[in-house]
Amino acid sequence: MKFFTPFRKKSPWVLHYNAGSCNGCDIEILAALGPKFDLERFGVINTGNPKQSDIFLVTGPVTYRSRERLVELYTQIPEPKVVVAVGSCTTTGGVFRGMYNVEDGIDRYIPVDVYVPGCASTPQLIIDALVKAGEILEHKSKEIEKPFKLFGAVQTIGNKLSRLTMAKKVDHDED
Amino acid sequence: MTWIWILLAPLLGGLLYGGERVLRARMQRRQGPPLLQPFYDMFKLLDKRTLIVHAPHALLAVAHFFVLWFTVAAIFLGWNLLYIIFLHLFAQMLLILAGYSVRSPYSHLGANRELLMLIAYEPVLILVAVGFYLLSGSFEITEIMRGGNYLFQMPLLFAALLMIVPIKVKKSPFDVGEAHQEIVGGVEIEYSGVFYEFLYMSRFLEYLFIYSFVFIFGGVSCWLGSVLAAGVFLLVNLVDNATARVRTAQMVKIIYAMAMSLAVVNLLWMLV
Repeated sequence: MKFFTPFRKKSPWVLHYNAGSCNGCDIEILAALGPKFDLERFGVINTGNPKQSDIFLVTGPVTYRSRERLVELYTQIPEPKVVVAVGSCTTTGGVFRGMYNVEDGIDRYIPVDVYVPGCASTPQLIIDALVKAGEILEHKSKEIEKPFKLFGAVQTIGNKLSRLTMAKKVDHDED
Repeated sequence: MTWIWILLAPLLGGLLYGGERVLRARMQRRQGPPLLQPFYDMFKLLDKRTLIVHAPHALLAVAHFFVLWFTVAAIFLGWNLLYIIFLHLFAQMLLILAGYSVRSPYSHLGANRELLMLIAYEPVLILVAVGFYLLSGSFEITEIMRGGNYLFQMPLLFAALLMIVPIKVKKSPFDVGEAHQEIVGGVEIEYSGVFYEFLYMSRFLEYLFIYSFVFIFGGVSCWLGSVLAAGVFLLVNLVDNATARVRTAQMVKIIYAMAMSLAVVNLLWMLV
């Protein structure tokens, strides 16, 4: 509905996931949420629950073990959703790029909307990124967005998963 | 006139919740969200794609909201206090059933905690109602509101009520039911979109429910009631900012040991 779209920007709820980060960026995110930088003035809440969030805030270079959870959390966020990659590691792999246990950033697995540079990225940058993410959220549709790859349980259930079949139906109808 | 207030009750509660968020932010020396933030959240939730686990689960949230709304309406219309308490119990039962109806362990844990919270505060609420009955001779709120001097006749019961307000509005030290990142909202965890919005709005109604109990202590003078409600509102938020969460078992023990004994002592004192 056209009437409701402006309100997406005013209450972006955040899901924060640490995909093998060194905790530097996580601490900066917490600083941004804390009293000094006060992200709550934009209506941001750190929900910790994928089903109720709009923005997926990922830190870390996606270790081998964390990628399944990353993709699964991404599929559980209802649309419209925006992915924000916080820190050098998450955007490109950073100093870990090319290592055997690391996946060189999250955009191999899920579509990223906002990249935040910095090791560790500052709270000011994170605030800017969330404001930008709110703007992107406003222009997104409610069409189902899929990750690039599936792992583990999600892959085993595969197309029996109702959300993914729904996505297929949408594709089919548009053809 | 009363009917208009009843229809506006969720909006009224939303303003209360928004005001509370601003107040808490100011207590932490930060700017905080705008006053209308709960309504922005509501409109946004309406625009989200909704994921449903199964139909009864979603329906129970809607039922919970409407039963709570009916409870608040009964308070505004001045019905029987015991009837209101049991209606509220019914609303909570629906929420607990919803928590148990899905397979998420967090949801089950949240439902367990919700049940223990119910066990903690329900006797105190009933004892408060009995206290009103002993003084005014009726359980009807319209009759109770004609009397006065409740605060001076039952100060210990008021203290007991003060102890259970944080449980009801889910504030520290008794916020085990929601427990921000610990169990991720408890029973709310599997809800999304429109159905989460019903739970979000039912929180506003809970605020109205428990603060109207505080308001009744003012009796015939609305001024005293308003001052009491505002004072308790400030105090609960101050305590929320200053304390940590206690465990569920500790919460039940604290409420039974202190609030219940305060209430019983006051009732005995009134009877003798």
